Amino acid sequence: MNPLRIALIILAAVFFLLLPIRRRLAWRYARVLLLLAVATVMLAPFAWLVCAVFKDSTVLNEYSFLPPLSKISHETINLSNFRALLTDQPTVQGPVCFWRYVANSLFVASLITFLSLVFSSAGGFALAKYRFAGRGVLLTYMLASMTIPAVVLLAPNYQIIWQLGWMDTYKALVVPAAVSAFGIFLFRQAMLGVPNELIEAARIDGWGEFRIYLTLAMPLVRPMSGAFCLICFLGAWNSFLPPNIFLQSQAKLTLPVVLNQYVGQYRHDYGIFLCGTLLAMIPPAILFFSLQREFISGLTSGAVKQ
Amino acid sequence: MNFPYGTAPLAILLIAVASGAWLIAPRYASSPLEQRPPDLVYATFVKEHAEAYRPAIAKFEQKYGVRIQVQVVDQKALQDRLQSALQVGAAVPDMVELMYGTMGLFTRGPLADVGFVDLTERIHQSGLYDRLVTNRFSKWSSRGHIFALPHDMHPVMLAYRRDLVEQLGIDVNQLTTWDEFCRVGRQVVARTTAPDGIPTHYMIDLPTDGSDILRLLILQRGSGLFDAQGNVTFDSEQAADVVCWYVKQIGGEQRISFPCGQGQSFTLAVLDGLCLFYMCPDWRTLAIESDIPSVSGKMSLMPLPAWTPGGIRTSTWGGTGLAFTKQCRNFDLAWKLAMYLYYDPDQLGPRFAATQILPPLKAAWDRPEFFQPSAFFSGIQLGHAYAQFAPQVPQEHDTAYTAMAVNKLSEAFSNTALYYNSHGDRGLRDFARGELKRCADRIRIIMDRNVFLKESGSKSPAPS
Amino acid sequence: MTIRPAIAAPPAPPPPNLRRALSDAPRIGGLGWRTRARAVPYFFLLPFVAVNLVFFLYPLIRATILAFYQTDGPAHRAYVGWSNFNFVLHDPDFHKAMWNTTVFAFFSICLQLPLSLGLAMLLNAKNDRLKGIFRLAIFAPNLAGQVFVGILFSVLFTPHYGLFNRFLQALIGWGLEQQWLGDPRLVMPAIIIASLWMYVGFNMIYFLAALQNVDQGLVEAATIDGAGPAHIFWNITVPAIAPVATFVVVTSTIGSYQLFELPYNLLANNAEGYGPNNSGMTVVGYLYQYAFHNGDLGTGAAVGWLLTFIILAISLVQIRVLGSVGRET
Repeated sequence: MNPLRIALIILAAVFFLLLPIRRRLAWRYARVLLLLAVATVMLAPFAWLVCAVFKDSTVLNEYSFLPPLSKISHETINLSNFRALLTDQPTVQGPVCFWRYVANSLFVASLITFLSLVFSSAGGFALAKYRFAGRGVLLTYMLASMTIPAVVLLAPNYQIIWQLGWMDTYKALVVPAAVSAFGIFLFRQAMLGVPNELIEAARIDGWGEFRIYLTLAMPLVRPMSGAFCLICFLGAWNSFLPPNIFLQSQAKLTLPVVLNQYVGQYRHDYGIFLCGTLLAMIPPAILFFSLQREFISGLTSGAVKQ
Repeated sequence: MNFPYGTAPLAILLIAVASGAWLIAPRYASSPLEQRPPDLVYATFVKEHAEAYRPAIAKFEQKYGVRIQVQVVDQKALQDRLQSALQVGAAVPDMVELMYGTMGLFTRGPLADVGFVDLTERIHQSGLYDRLVTNRFSKWSSRGHIFALPHDMHPVMLAYRRDLVEQLGIDVNQLTTWDEFCRVGRQVVARTTAPDGIPTHYMIDLPTDGSDILRLLILQRGSGLFDAQGNVTFDSEQAADVVCWYVKQIGGEQRISFPCGQGQSFTLAVLDGLCLFYMCPDWRTLAIESDIPSVSGKMSLMPLPAWTPGGIRTSTWGGTGLAFTKQCRNFDLAWKLAMYLYYDPDQLGPRFAATQILPPLKAAWDRPEFFQPSAFFSGIQLGHAYAQFAPQVPQEHDTAYTAMAVNKLSEAFSNTALYYNSHGDRGLRDFARGELKRCADRIRIIMDRNVFLKESGSKSPAPS
Repeated sequence: MTIRPAIAAPPAPPPPNLRRALSDAPRIGGLGWRTRARAVPYFFLLPFVAVNLVFFLYPLIRATILAFYQTDGPAHRAYVGWSNFNFVLHDPDFHKAMWNTTVFAFFSICLQLPLSLGLAMLLNAKNDRLKGIFRLAIFAPNLAGQVFVGILFSVLFTPHYGLFNRFLQALIGWGLEQQWLGDPRLVMPAIIIASLWMYVGFNMIYFLAALQNVDQGLVEAATIDGAGPAHIFWNITVPAIAPVATFVVVTSTIGSYQLFELPYNLLANNAEGYGPNNSGMTVVGYLYQYAFHNGDLGTGAAVGWLLTFIILAISLVQIRVLGSVGRET
């Protein structure tokens, strides 16, 4: 009989006691309890992660989360993992510090996101607001292309990147990912909601097409921009295969690849790579917190509209 | 001004610009590489090697007026990145120390494409071939061409808790064959089993997976993963013998072993004497000395029991080799450095005292440092003890499919162990042979598919 | 290569009524505008078309050709006809990878979707204040990405010390010493658990939106008529969310068959990312091993195409079966 089981039994007992007395309250209580339990299970690994990176490696395994208050001291809780993570790592090109990997990830992910945003919104605008030859073909083509899993292209892209001489460059990561049929579809959906009358009025006022797109349409689809940015950034930030395959120099690696390396290297002393994992989760979390509402509405807009 | 795309995209654009600027910024111009590019870049994955080379490299730099940069890189990174970097022509170091078993990765395709310089002629012309233990070159060759210089021999002996062994009345001089060893082992386990059925002392530390130890035993038995021509050979009679023998030692009634693992659990096992005997190649002696100082004077070494009376009494475990990438700008200088670092007898004495790793250069074994008695190991002259068995170290052949073969051998072994658990000795040998053959055939099919291997005449015999 | 975001939202109304879509766009009137405006959409779409041609269409064609060659890195190739396909289809390792992937996809759907739906229904009944917090909490794992989740869980599954082992031991008295990542029988359950943790919240969001489609008036009427919650669920809720449910099942299956980064990082220090006896090898893992560890891009391309066909076949079957189920009810 350990504390966990005792707690569970008590909680269940409360439910059964309430049931005959106040049915609705009992069920509401059960609902909240269940949600709390699930939320706890979902958040527990994060909590563990935060605790683990601050624990000294000698006590890493002793306590599940944090040492009891009496044992908290400089020996048990300190920044030694951070210090080890952030010392320069020797490589063939010279010492590399961990922040460089963070910078690589930030650069690649944000550049991909921004370019993707620009190109996809432009494409979506064109598809939604113009009639032109080849439009139907293009739409069908894009739909079909989304059914092909990306892995098919991995091997031939490796050859192509090598032939272009783009091996071990940032270009190889950014350019192929800078456009997505999926993004164009999302923006097309959003752009369809921009009233044609506004556009006609702008044209009559003498506005150029590009200006209409940039200053009229884009602000109107801002929620979709936000959602798309987040989706795109998350995808690019967590992307593992392309950087693993196309990057050679240690100094250019992005976070997922580096941490995958560390797992083998520091397997007995995992405070260090857990530290890296925690740091790597922070930028997407920040972005998500600022964009959550748009994100959730953007995510479900396509699914719900029939 | 209102950014048309929105605040978040604006922020993202700024992040892209800022991080891009930081990456291109001249901060790395002040790195050592820019000040004066080194004449040679030497990459290794073993910190201890880099430490041990430091004085030698300093002298070399002075003598020739050059700058050598030694990099300690993570092994996995080195292996993965080097492999694809060589294939696509990205920047690589001039000299690279490779881990055992990885040479095959680089010699997968046509010989002309191997990213390392072919050293075969040089080695023969300079007479190095005869000055080193010849068998050791096999590890670093492919289809008869040598691509790396061996750093070590790594003969294997058994380290044991002398005090406990003497206490139990075992005479190690009688343990000349594995059969005898196991017989005594079973007695030990039976005698020291506590009332609850758990033995206090096991005879030997053997891991329960079919990995390094299994392979070194197969080598000792006279077989191996591959032969000199690159054919798969781990389904041989000898390998089946070893597999059947091994599964009986790790489980069942005749069990005499316990997997002590590595690191902390190994330390605890040695301290408690949980196992009496431990596989100990030369590199492990230093590790044991530094990790478990309290058993100093209580340990000793003995050669491996032979499989057959009069058979060889050692094997090999691990190894490092030095390869020269084809992009090396100054090959002659690099070769000089390699000869100086690896095969200069004057240096190898003190080097041995520091690392306790036996070099493959026979001439070095006469140095006084090799005859230094070790207090830790009850007065045994470590260098001399290992050097005695070095000439017997069996050949080991690597191919592009070593990793796959290791995987498959492991699979066959696990299945055999499971079979032994459920069926015991009945039909064990046939099952083991069947499993090994099935796995070996898989490798053969895969190897047969490789048109590049076939083109370059993989079947040509290696000079021996 | 087009980005495959970790969160794949669907295309616009599936399937699009093209005729209606085409007539949607405004007629661009005026003589002067017509010529200028005619070129504009092409400019807007130029980046997409250019990049897509080079990094999607051309590689796709190359992949078809490459599948008939054997390569050694990007520089060398030799024609081998159907040998690659032949080899892969007869390779027990590929069968094992297919089996692993199918088992994963099956349990993913069977465990994840009911859980997501259940959570969505629980959350739907709550008031808005707490709903946002719980939704965020349950969705949070998805933010981490497959790589980092794999890395995190590789430590959580440590025998004797791992959080998961300790939790399980406290809950049901078993599991402390289990080698989740070292025992071939436990590797796939471990992967399923990690992926469950990651994706339950994601699918829950979809179901939450879908539940908005349920006609509350109908529910109330049914309750007044004395229908029990189970009856309401099967006869009202399910048909209302059927389209979304179909969509979720199909995309989850497609995603499951492409699983690679999660097991690869979960098992990173265990047999190079494939697990003991290849118990953690998925089809993409098999492709990766051949194309990038062994350097044989040709076999990799062959595997890629085989996977594409398999995914297409399964998706079509699913859409037909589930679509008809949805239509009947």
